[in-house]
Amino acid sequence: MVNKKIEKLLANVQKPGRYVGGELNCVRKHADEVDVRFAFCFPDIYEVGMSHLGLKILYSQLNTVPYVWCERVFAPWVDMEEEMRKNGLPLYALESGDSIRDFDIIGFTLQYELSYTNILNMLDLAGIPLKAEDRHSLSQLVVAGGPCACNPEPLADFFDLFFIGEGEEVDLEVVALYREYKKQDRSKEEFLKAASQIQGVYVPSLYHISYHEDHTVKAIVPKEGAPLPVKKRIMMDVDKSYFPDKFVVPYIEIVHDRTVAEVLRGCIRGCRFCQAGFLYRPFREKSVDVIDRQCHDLCDSTGYDEISLSSLSTSDHSRLNELIDRLHTWTEKENTGISLPSLRVDNFSPELMSKIKSVRRSGLTFAPEAGTQRLRDVINKNVTEEELMKTVNTAFKGGWTTIKLYFMIGLPTETLDDVAGIAELGQKVVDAFYANPDKPKGKGVKVTVSASSFVPKPFTPFQWEPQDTMETLRKKQRHLVASVKTRKVEPNWHEADTSFLEAVFARGDRRLCGVLLEAHRSGCKMDGWQNFFSFPKWMEIFERCGIDPAFYANRRRSFDEVLPWDHIDYGIKKSFLIDECKKAYANVTTPNCREQCSSCGASCFKGGICYEKRQGLV
Amino acid sequence: MKNVRVWFKKIGTARYISHLDLNRCMLRAIHKAKLPLWYTQGYNPHAFITFALPLSLGIGGERESMDIRLDDDGITREELIGKLNAALPDDIPVFDVTEPVMKPGQIAYASYLMKLETQGHPPEETAAAIRELFSRETVVVPKHTKNGMIDLDLRPYLDRTEVVARDDGVEISAMLPAGSTMNVNPSLLCDAMKKYLLLDLFSDIRRINLYDADFKIFE
Repeated sequence: MVNKKIEKLLANVQKPGRYVGGELNCVRKHADEVDVRFAFCFPDIYEVGMSHLGLKILYSQLNTVPYVWCERVFAPWVDMEEEMRKNGLPLYALESGDSIRDFDIIGFTLQYELSYTNILNMLDLAGIPLKAEDRHSLSQLVVAGGPCACNPEPLADFFDLFFIGEGEEVDLEVVALYREYKKQDRSKEEFLKAASQIQGVYVPSLYHISYHEDHTVKAIVPKEGAPLPVKKRIMMDVDKSYFPDKFVVPYIEIVHDRTVAEVLRGCIRGCRFCQAGFLYRPFREKSVDVIDRQCHDLCDSTGYDEISLSSLSTSDHSRLNELIDRLHTWTEKENTGISLPSLRVDNFSPELMSKIKSVRRSGLTFAPEAGTQRLRDVINKNVTEEELMKTVNTAFKGGWTTIKLYFMIGLPTETLDDVAGIAELGQKVVDAFYANPDKPKGKGVKVTVSASSFVPKPFTPFQWEPQDTMETLRKKQRHLVASVKTRKVEPNWHEADTSFLEAVFARGDRRLCGVLLEAHRSGCKMDGWQNFFSFPKWMEIFERCGIDPAFYANRRRSFDEVLPWDHIDYGIKKSFLIDECKKAYANVTTPNCREQCSSCGASCFKGGICYEKRQGLV
Repeated sequence: MKNVRVWFKKIGTARYISHLDLNRCMLRAIHKAKLPLWYTQGYNPHAFITFALPLSLGIGGERESMDIRLDDDGITREELIGKLNAALPDDIPVFDVTEPVMKPGQIAYASYLMKLETQGHPPEETAAAIRELFSRETVVVPKHTKNGMIDLDLRPYLDRTEVVARDDGVEISAMLPAGSTMNVNPSLLCDAMKKYLLLDLFSDIRRINLYDADFKIFE
């Protein structure tokens, strides 16, 4: 909702539609009729935040509770921020237009390390003290969840509590506890102590961290009965867990402007670089009936004419063909398209292809991740060149002529030959096109090989690995470009400096809180946007703070070092990750969860694929 | 098959969305309402939907219209209004559906209501100053056109303008050329006040109605 104060600023900004709310299906309540006002903050602009499924789920779910009003808050773009600061308008929530300074709970979702400065900037713009110790009342409770909360330490000074794992249940439990303590007029300390006893809640102020002289962590000691480790929360019955039947439908175009159905959680694959693949274990599927109903409800309530079947690896759903057939019983009549954002190289069948093509054709993207078989074995990406060739031939036969291949450079054990292998693989795809007798007539082929820089992440077998230095990464990027021999293959890469900063914060500790504060004071924000990111500025900040970023990004840890996130437990045993790391160096792969259990530890959650009957290869 | 003209308002938050966004919003609403929309029969079928005269970003509309072509004649006016309202955000309410009488190309004028905040100044004084400005021999403001900036004299278009002082500010009703041949954006009047009177007033502008060359209301 817009009030006069907001309206006056809108004439001077681009895309005012970002700042007004009022969209279809947004939730309006009366502030005096609720007990808890919750600001769901996404530390990036509207178009990015509104595309995020987690926000849609938790926003809708919190609003099903009569005594809670959850509203959305996004980072204003720089033009709007300038207007807001100039005119003394604090950060407000979209539904009410009210300043979030007066809210009970201010919750952030942590999706990306480079959005951390935006969090501080948003708190500052709201007029909320940045540090948890400077906020004394129970209200203005600043909380966070999301994948980056798996190592919350670089943000520990700013947050009162973190949600570890999946939020659907634990968010509601914390909100209910908050309401009770607010009614009883209890203190923030009392509340945090009680909240820390809820599974999936991490209260950083209740843990004392000591360091060795070399700055590695010496010990993590809980206080006041706080648990050690802090175990993640997880929704074991994904069919029964909350999923909204309505999404807020933005007026303005956002990044993913469509119905999103979550078909499964977790991943069976165990690619050794992939954090999500470990954080969300075990693999849990939704049933065809439930997905079909949720898709239909959402299309009915939003008017969207496209459904995206979303997950870490949608084609691993054991009943994908059945699901698409079921959806087709109504989508074709209603002119609704189906898209699959994540396809694997090894199970893209002609049958599947004809099913998604029947409605609308989108580009095809596959992620072999590494250019040579040896390196693909190292990272446990169990995809062969033969499978890739079979897949692209299927695609060419089906009329596709544009293929995008995703790779990473800087992977452990990688050599320049592996990098050249990326270009060679691209070339082989081009050759396959011309050798294919059923290729589309009169059309050329375009193969984009996109190389991002590898960032070692917590809770993966590579969490001990050094990241390649930026110098090495740039050398590899140049080598990739030099290895491309034709114009049919287009190489593409990301700047190494943002990956470096991502690596620093991904595996950082509490000493980085000071760096973030200093970065915020120096005006760092929107670091995920290339035109705002200033690497030299960041290096100055590290220097001023007396912290060597290479300590976090480029240092090899020993297996017995205490890691800053060792007190957080995602159910994956450290010993399993160590074994996987050793297997990587021996070029040995690990079978996927459907083929064979590798005893990662996720069976402690008593469900999902760990307890399914295995039928051998799928 | 029949063409219908859907009448709606663009108010509140909806004032801040562009014409392109409004277009997508309407298409989604029609899809959501499951209206039997007629699709073009070409290689790339798309819905047949046109707007009489798009509004500029930030300006509200009290009587906006959109023409759609339906495959089915059986649907009633009330059903159409009900279904569309159930599918649209609150700030884009549909209030009527009629058969188109005029062609959008016949539109020649639009009437606007502008509410200016005078911020502490007595509204009567400000209103008098604006009246004086609007009666000068020339009132020239820069205007964006396809061929770059030009100097436009607003004076010939200000004869049907009324400036009234209210308790909380100044209200201007204006009838300005609108349509494909000549279009004068009401915000140019604000530009003139800024340039000549150094008055930078917050203005809430609404388009009230559209007219043909004979000042007959667009139907």
